[in-house]
Amino acid sequence: MGDPSSVPTFQLGGLTFNVTNMISGLIAFVLVFLFVFALSRHITMKPGRGQNILEWLVDFTNNILKGSIPGNETSAFGLYGFTLFLFLFVSNELGLFIQISLGGKDWVRSPTSDPIVTMTFSLATLMIAQYAGVMKFGWKKHFSGYLKPFVFWLPISIFEEFTNFLTLGLRIFGVIYSGEMLLKIIGEMAFSGGIASFGVAVVLALVWQGFSAFLGAIQAFVFVTLSSVYIADKIEID
Amino acid sequence: MFSHLVVGASLFFGDIIFYAVCFLILMWLIKIFAWKPINQMMQDRADKISNDIDSAEKSRDEAASLAQQRQSALANSRQEATTIVDNAKKQGQQQRDGIVAQAQTDAQSLKVNAQKDIEQERQDALQNVRNDVADLSIEIASKIIQKELSADDQKALIDSYIEGLGKQHES
Repeated sequence: MGDPSSVPTFQLGGLTFNVTNMISGLIAFVLVFLFVFALSRHITMKPGRGQNILEWLVDFTNNILKGSIPGNETSAFGLYGFTLFLFLFVSNELGLFIQISLGGKDWVRSPTSDPIVTMTFSLATLMIAQYAGVMKFGWKKHFSGYLKPFVFWLPISIFEEFTNFLTLGLRIFGVIYSGEMLLKIIGEMAFSGGIASFGVAVVLALVWQGFSAFLGAIQAFVFVTLSSVYIADKIEID
Repeated sequence: MFSHLVVGASLFFGDIIFYAVCFLILMWLIKIFAWKPINQMMQDRADKISNDIDSAEKSRDEAASLAQQRQSALANSRQEATTIVDNAKKQGQQQRDGIVAQAQTDAQSLKVNAQKDIEQERQDALQNVRNDVADLSIEIASKIIQKELSADDQKALIDSYIEGLGKQHES
Protein backbone atom coordinates (compact mmCIF):
# COMPACT_ATOMS: atom_id res chain seq x y z
CA MET A 1 0.00 0.00 0.00
CA GLY A 2 2.01 2.89 -1.35
CA ASP A 3 4.98 0.68 -0.72
CA PRO A 4 7.29 0.40 -3.72
CA SER A 5 7.04 -3.33 -3.34
CA SER A 6 3.25 -3.25 -3.50
CA VAL A 7 3.08 -2.28 -7.16
CA PRO A 8 4.00 -4.52 -10.06
CA THR A 9 6.80 -3.06 -12.17
CA PHE A 10 8.91 -4.01 -15.15
CA GLN A 11 12.02 -2.69 -16.80
CA LEU A 12 12.26 -1.65 -20.42
CA GLY A 13 15.14 0.17 -22.04
CA GLY A 14 16.60 1.22 -18.72
CA LEU A 15 13.31 2.77 -17.59
CA THR A 16 11.10 1.36 -14.88
CA PHE A 17 7.42 1.17 -15.69
CA ASN A 18 4.72 0.95 -13.06
CA VAL A 19 2.05 -1.45 -14.25
CA THR A 20 -0.54 -0.11 -11.78
CA ASN A 21 -0.18 3.37 -13.16
CA MET A 22 -0.34 2.09 -16.70
CA ILE A 23 -3.53 0.09 -16.13
CA SER A 24 -5.24 2.84 -14.12
CA GLY A 25 -4.13 5.51 -16.55
CA LEU A 26 -5.37 3.51 -19.51
CA ILE A 27 -8.73 3.03 -17.83
CA ALA A 28 -8.98 6.78 -17.21
CA PHE A 29 -7.89 7.63 -20.77
CA VAL A 30 -10.40 5.18 -22.25
CA LEU A 31 -13.20 6.43 -19.99
CA VAL A 32 -12.55 10.04 -20.95
CA PHE A 33 -12.40 9.16 -24.61
CA LEU A 34 -15.59 7.07 -24.50
CA PHE A 35 -17.39 9.82 -22.59
CA VAL A 36 -16.42 12.50 -25.08
CA PHE A 37 -16.90 10.18 -28.05
CA ALA A 38 -20.39 9.15 -26.95
CA LEU A 39 -21.50 12.72 -26.37
CA SER A 40 -20.17 14.04 -29.65
CA ARG A 41 -21.90 11.60 -31.99
CA HIS A 42 -24.75 13.69 -33.30
CA ILE A 43 -23.53 17.23 -33.51
CA THR A 44 -26.29 19.43 -34.81
CA MET A 45 -27.14 23.09 -34.96
CA LYS A 46 -29.83 22.52 -32.38
CA PRO A 47 -27.96 20.70 -29.64
CA GLY A 48 -29.29 17.46 -28.16
CA ARG A 49 -28.74 16.43 -24.57
CA GLY A 50 -25.28 14.93 -25.05
CA GLN A 51 -24.09 17.84 -27.14
CA ASN A 52 -25.38 20.25 -24.52
CA ILE A 53 -23.33 18.55 -21.80
CA LEU A 54 -20.25 18.59 -23.98
CA GLU A 55 -20.71 22.22 -24.94
CA TRP A 56 -21.23 23.11 -21.32
CA LEU A 57 -17.96 21.36 -20.45
CA VAL A 58 -16.12 23.13 -23.26
CA ASP A 59 -17.49 26.45 -22.06
CA PHE A 60 -16.59 25.57 -18.50
CA THR A 61 -12.91 24.83 -19.23
CA ASN A 62 -12.69 27.75 -21.64
CA ASN A 63 -13.99 30.02 -18.90
CA ILE A 64 -11.34 28.72 -16.50
CA LEU A 65 -8.71 29.65 -19.07
CA LYS A 66 -10.30 32.99 -19.84
CA GLY A 67 -10.12 33.82 -16.16
CA SER A 68 -6.38 34.35 -16.42
CA ILE A 69 -5.27 34.21 -20.06
CA PRO A 70 -6.05 37.44 -21.91
CA GLY A 71 -8.88 37.29 -24.45
CA ASN A 72 -7.99 36.05 -27.90
CA GLU A 73 -5.08 33.82 -26.85
CA THR A 74 -7.31 31.41 -24.95
CA SER A 75 -8.17 29.35 -28.02
CA ALA A 76 -4.63 27.99 -28.34
CA PHE A 77 -4.87 26.30 -24.93
CA GLY A 78 -8.55 25.36 -25.01
CA LEU A 79 -8.02 21.75 -26.05
CA TYR A 80 -5.24 21.25 -23.49
CA GLY A 81 -7.38 22.65 -20.70
CA PHE A 82 -10.40 20.60 -21.73
CA THR A 83 -8.52 17.30 -21.97
CA LEU A 84 -6.54 17.99 -18.81
CA PHE A 85 -9.63 18.78 -16.79
CA LEU A 86 -11.54 15.72 -17.95
CA PHE A 87 -8.59 13.40 -17.43
CA LEU A 88 -7.72 14.70 -13.97
CA PHE A 89 -11.36 14.62 -12.90
CA VAL A 90 -11.84 11.03 -14.05
CA SER A 91 -8.49 10.03 -12.53
CA ASN A 92 -9.32 11.61 -9.19
CA GLU A 93 -12.68 9.89 -8.99
CA LEU A 94 -11.49 6.56 -10.37
CA GLY A 95 -9.88 5.42 -7.13
CA LEU A 96 -13.03 6.17 -5.18
CA PHE A 97 -14.99 3.59 -7.10
CA ILE A 98 -12.46 1.04 -8.21
CA GLN A 99 -9.49 -0.12 -6.19
CA ILE A 100 -8.22 -3.55 -7.05
CA SER A 101 -5.52 -5.29 -5.07
CA LEU A 102 -4.43 -8.80 -5.95
CA GLY A 103 -1.73 -10.83 -4.24
CA GLY A 104 -0.66 -7.95 -2.03
CA LYS A 105 -0.15 -5.63 -4.98
CA ASP A 106 -2.33 -2.74 -6.17
CA TRP A 107 -3.50 -3.05 -9.75
CA VAL A 108 -6.06 -0.28 -10.14
CA ARG A 109 -6.28 2.99 -8.20
CA SER A 110 -6.42 6.72 -8.94
CA PRO A 111 -3.56 7.49 -11.32
CA THR A 112 -3.27 10.88 -9.64
CA SER A 113 -2.46 9.26 -6.31
CA ASP A 114 1.03 8.70 -7.68
CA PRO A 115 3.24 11.83 -7.72
CA ILE A 116 4.96 10.81 -10.93
CA VAL A 117 1.66 11.14 -12.79
CA THR A 118 0.69 14.50 -11.36
CA MET A 119 4.21 15.84 -11.87
CA THR A 120 4.07 14.70 -15.48
CA PHE A 121 1.15 17.04 -16.01
CA SER A 122 2.63 19.89 -14.01
CA LEU A 123 5.79 19.52 -16.07
CA ALA A 124 3.69 19.58 -19.23
CA THR A 125 2.00 22.78 -18.09
CA LEU A 126 5.29 24.47 -17.27
CA MET A 127 6.73 23.42 -20.62
CA ILE A 128 3.71 24.76 -22.45
CA ALA A 129 4.06 28.02 -20.53
CA GLN A 130 7.73 28.35 -21.52
CA TYR A 131 6.92 27.42 -25.11
CA ALA A 132 4.10 29.94 -25.32
CA GLY A 133 6.34 32.65 -23.87
CA VAL A 134 9.10 31.94 -26.37
CA MET A 135 6.62 31.83 -29.26
CA LYS A 136 5.13 35.14 -28.29
CA PHE A 137 8.18 37.20 -27.33
CA GLY A 138 11.13 35.32 -28.82
CA TRP A 139 13.98 33.68 -26.93
CA LYS A 140 15.70 36.82 -25.83
CA LYS A 141 12.76 38.73 -24.51
CA HIS A 142 11.21 35.68 -22.89
CA PHE A 143 14.29 34.74 -20.87
CA SER A 144 15.12 38.32 -20.04
CA GLY A 145 11.93 38.16 -18.00
CA TYR A 146 13.90 36.10 -15.49
CA LEU A 147 16.19 39.04 -14.86
CA LYS A 148 13.39 41.28 -13.67
CA PRO A 149 13.11 43.32 -11.55
CA PHE A 150 16.94 43.17 -11.51
CA VAL A 151 19.68 40.78 -12.56
CA PHE A 152 20.25 39.22 -9.17
CA TRP A 153 16.67 38.07 -9.13
CA LEU A 154 17.61 35.26 -11.51
CA PRO A 155 18.08 32.50 -8.87
CA ILE A 156 14.78 33.38 -7.29
CA SER A 157 13.03 33.30 -10.67
CA ILE A 158 14.45 29.88 -11.46
CA PHE A 159 13.61 28.64 -8.00
CA GLU A 160 10.08 29.97 -8.46
CA GLU A 161 9.68 27.95 -11.64
CA PHE A 162 10.81 24.86 -9.77
CA THR A 163 8.46 25.43 -6.86
CA ASN A 164 5.59 26.08 -9.28
CA PHE A 165 6.32 22.75 -10.87
CA LEU A 166 6.48 20.93 -7.51
CA THR A 167 3.47 22.55 -5.85
CA LEU A 168 1.26 22.16 -8.90
CA GLY A 169 1.97 18.44 -9.07
CA LEU A 170 2.16 17.64 -5.37
CA ARG A 171 -1.00 19.51 -4.38
CA ILE A 172 -3.30 17.25 -6.36
CA PHE A 173 -1.22 14.18 -5.48
CA GLY A 174 -1.43 14.94 -1.77
CA VAL A 175 -5.18 15.36 -1.74
CA ILE A 176 -5.95 12.28 -3.78
CA TYR A 177 -3.33 10.10 -2.12
CA SER A 178 -4.47 10.98 1.38
CA GLY A 179 -8.06 10.42 0.36
CA GLU A 180 -7.27 6.93 -0.86
CA MET A 181 -5.14 6.16 2.17
CA LEU A 182 -7.94 7.09 4.51
CA LEU A 183 -10.41 5.01 2.50
CA LYS A 184 -8.11 2.02 2.78
CA ILE A 185 -7.69 2.52 6.51
CA ILE A 186 -11.45 2.76 6.92
CA GLY A 187 -11.75 -0.42 4.86
CA GLU A 188 -9.30 -2.24 7.11
CA MET A 189 -11.14 -1.01 10.14
CA ALA A 190 -14.43 -2.36 8.78
CA PHE A 191 -13.19 -5.93 8.93
CA SER A 192 -11.19 -5.61 12.14
CA GLY A 193 -13.74 -5.84 14.91
CA GLY A 194 -17.08 -7.43 14.21
CA ILE A 195 -20.43 -5.89 13.29
CA ALA A 196 -20.09 -2.68 15.31
CA SER A 197 -16.92 -1.47 13.67
CA PHE A 198 -18.33 -2.50 10.29
CA GLY A 199 -21.36 -0.25 10.76
CA VAL A 200 -19.24 2.68 11.86
CA ALA A 201 -16.84 2.14 9.00
CA VAL A 202 -19.64 2.10 6.40
CA VAL A 203 -20.88 5.48 7.61
CA LEU A 204 -17.36 6.89 7.71
CA ALA A 205 -16.59 5.51 4.26
CA LEU A 206 -19.73 7.05 2.81
CA VAL A 207 -18.95 10.46 4.27
CA TRP A 208 -15.31 10.33 3.23
CA GLN A 209 -16.13 9.13 -0.28
CA GLY A 210 -18.53 11.99 -0.77
CA PHE A 211 -15.95 14.44 0.47
CA SER A 212 -13.26 12.90 -1.71
CA ALA A 213 -15.47 13.11 -4.77
CA PHE A 214 -15.90 16.79 -4.03
CA LEU A 215 -12.16 17.23 -3.44
CA GLY A 216 -11.35 15.39 -6.65
CA ALA A 217 -13.52 17.78 -8.67
CA ILE A 218 -12.04 20.80 -6.86
CA GLN A 219 -8.48 19.59 -7.43
CA ALA A 220 -9.07 19.07 -11.16
CA PHE A 221 -10.49 22.59 -11.33
CA VAL A 222 -7.61 24.04 -9.31
CA PHE A 223 -5.04 22.28 -11.45
CA VAL A 224 -6.45 23.71 -14.66
CA THR A 225 -6.86 27.14 -13.09
CA LEU A 226 -3.25 27.21 -11.88
CA SER A 227 -2.07 25.89 -15.24
CA SER A 228 -3.75 28.81 -16.96
CA VAL A 229 -2.27 31.20 -14.41
CA TYR A 230 1.25 29.92 -15.08
CA ILE A 231 0.72 30.07 -18.84
CA ALA A 232 -0.74 33.57 -18.60
CA ASP A 233 2.24 34.63 -16.51
CA LYS A 234 4.54 33.79 -19.39
CA ILE A 235 2.58 35.40 -22.21
CA GLU A 236 1.78 38.66 -20.51
CA ILE A 237 4.06 41.65 -20.57
CA ASP A 238 5.23 42.44 -17.07
CA MET B 1 5.83 1.09 6.58
CA PHE B 2 6.74 4.73 5.99
CA SER B 3 8.70 4.01 2.86
CA HIS B 4 5.82 5.31 0.75
CA LEU B 5 6.38 8.75 2.25
CA VAL B 6 9.72 8.93 0.47
CA VAL B 7 8.60 10.37 -2.82
CA GLY B 8 11.62 9.27 -4.81
CA ALA B 9 11.18 5.68 -3.78
CA SER B 10 8.11 5.13 -5.93
CA LEU B 11 8.95 7.30 -8.94
CA PHE B 12 9.20 5.32 -12.11
CA PHE B 13 10.30 7.53 -14.94
CA GLY B 14 8.95 5.22 -17.58
CA ASP B 15 5.51 6.33 -16.48
CA ILE B 16 6.25 9.88 -17.55
CA ILE B 17 6.74 8.74 -21.11
CA PHE B 18 3.71 6.48 -20.97
CA TYR B 19 1.45 9.23 -19.67
CA ALA B 20 2.82 11.87 -21.99
CA VAL B 21 2.23 9.64 -25.02
CA CYS B 22 -1.20 8.55 -23.86
CA PHE B 23 -2.21 12.11 -23.06
CA LEU B 24 -1.11 13.33 -26.48
CA ILE B 25 -3.06 10.52 -28.13
CA LEU B 26 -6.12 11.37 -26.04
CA MET B 27 -5.82 15.03 -26.93
CA TRP B 28 -5.50 14.14 -30.59
CA LEU B 29 -8.54 11.83 -30.49
CA ILE B 30 -10.64 14.40 -28.64
CA LYS B 31 -9.57 17.02 -31.13
CA ILE B 32 -10.67 14.87 -34.06
CA PHE B 33 -13.88 13.48 -32.59
CA ALA B 34 -15.19 16.26 -30.42
CA TRP B 35 -13.18 19.46 -30.14
CA LYS B 36 -13.16 20.47 -33.78
CA PRO B 37 -16.77 19.59 -34.63
CA ILE B 38 -18.06 21.12 -31.40
CA ASN B 39 -16.20 24.36 -31.86
CA GLN B 40 -17.12 24.44 -35.53
CA MET B 41 -20.75 23.97 -34.61
CA MET B 42 -20.59 26.61 -31.88
CA GLN B 43 -19.05 29.03 -34.36
CA ASP B 44 -21.69 28.14 -36.95
CA ARG B 45 -24.41 28.63 -34.41
CA ALA B 46 -23.03 32.02 -33.39
CA ASP B 47 -22.94 33.01 -37.07
CA LYS B 48 -26.43 31.68 -37.66
CA ILE B 49 -27.82 33.54 -34.68
CA SER B 50 -26.31 36.81 -35.81
CA ASN B 51 -27.56 36.16 -39.35
CA ASP B 52 -31.00 35.34 -38.03
CA ILE B 53 -31.07 38.54 -36.05
CA ASP B 54 -30.08 40.50 -39.15
CA SER B 55 -32.63 38.78 -41.38
CA ALA B 56 -35.34 39.18 -38.74
CA GLU B 57 -34.56 42.88 -38.67
CA LYS B 58 -34.76 42.98 -42.44
CA SER B 59 -38.01 41.06 -42.70
CA ARG B 60 -39.53 43.25 -40.01
CA ASP B 61 -38.65 46.31 -42.07
CA GLU B 62 -40.08 44.63 -45.16
CA ALA B 63 -43.28 43.78 -43.35
CA ALA B 64 -43.57 47.35 -42.14
CA SER B 65 -43.12 48.73 -45.64
CA LEU B 66 -45.61 46.20 -47.01
CA ALA B 67 -48.15 47.25 -44.41
CA GLN B 68 -47.50 50.85 -45.37
CA GLN B 69 -48.07 50.00 -49.05
CA ARG B 70 -51.22 48.11 -48.25
CA GLN B 71 -52.51 50.97 -46.18
CA SER B 72 -51.93 53.47 -48.95
CA ALA B 73 -53.36 51.08 -51.56
CA LEU B 74 -56.45 50.69 -49.41
CA ALA B 75 -56.85 54.44 -49.11
CA ASN B 76 -56.35 54.79 -52.87
CA SER B 77 -58.90 52.14 -53.69
CA ARG B 78 -61.40 53.73 -51.33
CA GLN B 79 -60.94 57.04 -53.07
CA GLU B 80 -61.19 55.35 -56.43
CA ALA B 81 -64.39 53.63 -55.43
CA THR B 82 -65.83 56.93 -54.29
CA THR B 83 -64.89 58.49 -57.62
CA ILE B 84 -66.44 55.61 -59.53
CA VAL B 85 -69.65 55.82 -57.59
CA ASP B 86 -69.75 59.57 -58.02
CA ASN B 87 -69.18 59.25 -61.73
CA ALA B 88 -71.87 56.62 -62.04
CA LYS B 89 -74.28 58.80 -60.12
CA LYS B 90 -73.49 61.78 -62.28
CA GLN B 91 -73.84 59.73 -65.43
CA GLY B 92 -77.10 58.27 -64.24
CA GLN B 93 -78.37 61.72 -63.44
CA GLN B 94 -77.38 62.91 -66.90
CA GLN B 95 -78.98 59.92 -68.54
CA ARG B 96 -82.16 60.41 -66.54
CA ASP B 97 -82.26 64.05 -67.43
CA GLY B 98 -81.70 63.18 -71.08
CA ILE B 99 -84.43 60.57 -71.07
CA VAL B 100 -86.88 62.84 -69.33
CA ALA B 101 -86.09 65.67 -71.75
CA GLN B 102 -86.47 63.30 -74.67
CA ALA B 103 -89.77 62.05 -73.32
CA GLN B 104 -90.95 65.61 -72.85
CA THR B 105 -89.97 66.50 -76.37
CA ASP B 106 -91.65 63.39 -77.68
CA ALA B 107 -94.80 64.07 -75.71
CA GLN B 108 -94.78 67.67 -76.89
CA SER B 109 -94.45 66.66 -80.51
CA LEU B 110 -97.09 63.99 -80.09
CA LYS B 111 -99.39 66.54 -78.57
CA VAL B 112 -98.71 68.99 -81.35
CA ASN B 113 -99.33 66.33 -83.98
CA ALA B 114 -102.49 65.25 -82.29
CA GLN B 115 -103.70 68.83 -82.11
CA LYS B 116 -102.84 69.27 -85.75
CA ASP B 117 -104.71 66.08 -86.61
CA ILE B 118 -107.67 67.12 -84.55
CA GLU B 119 -107.68 70.52 -86.19
CA GLN B 120 -107.50 68.81 -89.59
CA GLU B 121 -110.30 66.47 -88.68
CA ARG B 122 -112.35 69.38 -87.47
CA GLN B 123 -111.65 71.35 -90.63
CA ASP B 124 -112.53 68.33 -92.77
CA ALA B 125 -115.68 67.68 -90.80
CA LEU B 126 -116.60 71.35 -90.97
CA GLN B 127 -116.00 71.35 -94.71
CA ASN B 128 -118.17 68.28 -95.16
CA VAL B 129 -120.87 69.73 -93.03
CA ARG B 130 -120.65 72.99 -94.95
CA ASN B 131 -121.00 71.10 -98.27
CA ASP B 132 -123.81 68.96 -96.96
CA VAL B 133 -125.61 71.96 -95.53
CA ALA B 134 -125.18 73.80 -98.80
CA ASP B 135 -126.59 70.89 -100.78
CA LEU B 136 -129.42 70.43 -98.32
CA SER B 137 -130.23 74.14 -98.34
CA ILE B 138 -130.24 74.18 -102.09
CA GLU B 139 -132.52 71.25 -102.18
CA ILE B 140 -134.71 72.76 -99.50
CA ALA B 141 -134.66 76.15 -101.13
CA SER B 142 -135.34 74.74 -104.55
CA LYS B 143 -138.16 72.80 -103.13
CA ILE B 144 -139.51 75.85 -101.31
CA ILE B 145 -139.23 78.47 -103.99
CA GLN B 146 -139.62 76.02 -106.82
CA LYS B 147 -137.07 77.90 -108.61
CA GLU B 148 -133.69 76.81 -109.71
CA LEU B 149 -131.08 78.84 -108.14
CA SER B 150 -127.66 78.38 -109.43
CA ALA B 151 -125.77 76.16 -107.10
CA ASP B 152 -122.87 78.55 -106.86
CA ASP B 153 -125.01 81.50 -105.81
CA GLN B 154 -126.67 79.31 -103.29
CA LYS B 155 -123.41 78.13 -101.92
CA ALA B 156 -122.09 81.65 -101.53
CA LEU B 157 -125.21 82.54 -99.68
CA ILE B 158 -124.96 79.57 -97.34
CA ASP B 159 -121.30 80.19 -96.75
CA SER B 160 -121.88 83.70 -95.65
CA TYR B 161 -124.61 82.47 -93.43
CA ILE B 162 -122.56 79.73 -91.84
CA GLU B 163 -119.64 82.08 -91.41
CA GLY B 164 -121.94 84.29 -89.52
CA LEU B 165 -122.97 81.27 -87.43
CA GLY B 166 -119.39 80.20 -86.86
CA LYS B 167 -118.47 83.68 -85.64
CA GLN B 168 -121.41 83.79 -83.36
CA HIS B 169 -120.47 80.31 -82.10
CA GLU B 170 -116.83 81.09 -81.58
CA SER B 171 -117.54 84.25 -79.72
